[in-house]
Amino acid sequence: MSKIGDWIDKRTGLGGPIRGFLNYPVPKYVHQNVLYILGGLTLIMFMLQAVTGIMLAFYFDPSPEGAYNSVDFITYQLPLGWLIRGIHHYGSGAMVILVALHMLRTYFFSAYKKPREINWLTGVLLLFVTLAFGFTGYLLPWDQKGYWATRVGTQIAGSVPLIGDTLMQLMRGGPNLGQATLTRFYATHILLLPAMIALLIAVHIFQLRYHGMSPAITEKSKAQSKSFVPFFPYWVLNDAIAGLGLLALLVFLSATQRAPLEFPADPTSGNFVPRPEWYFLFYYQALKYVPGALEPVATVLIPLFIFGSMILLPFIDKGEERRPWKKPVTTIAAIFYIVVIIGFTVLAL
Amino acid sequence: MSHDLEPLDPAKGAWDTKEMGRRRFLEVTFWSVTSVVTVGVVGSGGRFLVGNSLEPRTANWVQIGKIAELKVGAVNRVNYAMKATDAWREVEQKGALYAYTADGASYTVLDGSCTHLGCIVQWAASENRFRCPCHAAEFTREGEVMSGPPPKALGRLETKIQDGALFARI
Repeated sequence: MSKIGDWIDKRTGLGGPIRGFLNYPVPKYVHQNVLYILGGLTLIMFMLQAVTGIMLAFYFDPSPEGAYNSVDFITYQLPLGWLIRGIHHYGSGAMVILVALHMLRTYFFSAYKKPREINWLTGVLLLFVTLAFGFTGYLLPWDQKGYWATRVGTQIAGSVPLIGDTLMQLMRGGPNLGQATLTRFYATHILLLPAMIALLIAVHIFQLRYHGMSPAITEKSKAQSKSFVPFFPYWVLNDAIAGLGLLALLVFLSATQRAPLEFPADPTSGNFVPRPEWYFLFYYQALKYVPGALEPVATVLIPLFIFGSMILLPFIDKGEERRPWKKPVTTIAAIFYIVVIIGFTVLAL
Repeated sequence: MSHDLEPLDPAKGAWDTKEMGRRRFLEVTFWSVTSVVTVGVVGSGGRFLVGNSLEPRTANWVQIGKIAELKVGAVNRVNYAMKATDAWREVEQKGALYAYTADGASYTVLDGSCTHLGCIVQWAASENRFRCPCHAAEFTREGEVMSGPPPKALGRLETKIQDGALFARI
């Protein structure tokens, strides 16, 4: 170690932990399986969102009068504004896709089983925080899409029996959407949720390191499970290459198609058909099928059931078996959800 | 969590046994004070965040159109704007209403917000019904639910006629 490095290490004591982190032994079956880059890639995507989000906050005006114009200015006049907002906009969709894929990988490899329950639970919370980022984020341009999606979204909370109205008003900061709603969503989006996600990511990664990678499930990978490579540079390089590819894709999307900005929010608008961001479309479609009296079933019970079953999963599926083809119940349940979500999304397009 | 202390390395020293007699007392004191402060912080912080968001909405009479301009026997779509306070701002609060009269004397004024999830319903004159563009709900001209997810009829507003203009209480 260099003299300066040695000096810093003697005073901070950080050298050991950093070396431990970087030299962490990664089993070869993990290093060689492309599905294992999804977690790291999600983290890279989050870091891109954090950086572009901080940059956007330098120009954004969180008021109903100013928000739209400031986003319009960022997108069409500010040098490279199209790029920063584009990455942030397309990145939010990429984040949802990556979290979902990472979760499916974990699910099909039964990596949620004992002793990794807490890691699964923090993962479920991270999924919901990611969706909350999306929901609070797309109101901010104060355009038609954001305005109406938020009006509908908060009214979904309003359909909760007994406390619905109170809940809706708390979310909106009053009976109607307005200044208070925008500031609430803005503060949640740029302060509260980032604090929550940072904490959850820290616990999530600490859990991963504490328990190590979940056991290999195929014979081929079991054969490689006694052979290791250090985290840096082997795995880091995989993730970095994938991250560069992702960034290139986001830049391409931003350049070919500007991040959308619809007409300014208009509460009287007669011909606008409100539709949520694509990752909420399946739910939007599902709401069409539920009759009035059963509304709380769709807006409260079904989401609670899905969230509850995700939370309970590692405590219900406690068997030793980890191979998805030998676990028909969990495998079929997941395929059912995937088909329903994709099917409803396609119907809503 | 173990309450017993591991003995210290003799080379380093030892726990002060005299101090240890009040260890429990100090712990209880710490947690009591922390609990009281937490209740205070969470309570006042919560009150701060709720702010005045739960204040009941106040109803105002708003002019929605001149009687002469509202067509008899047809559903009239009216956009209104009224001065309102939005948190710390004075704003023009806007919305959409539907007014109907069969005789030019008594008026039915419906709130255009769908009772399902709040989208603005559209009047489809050829089919004689209101349609919601969001989740495919349908209402009759009087605002009753025909089909789709809404739990109740469209909101019907109190009306009055004054100086040749129709007013609704919003």
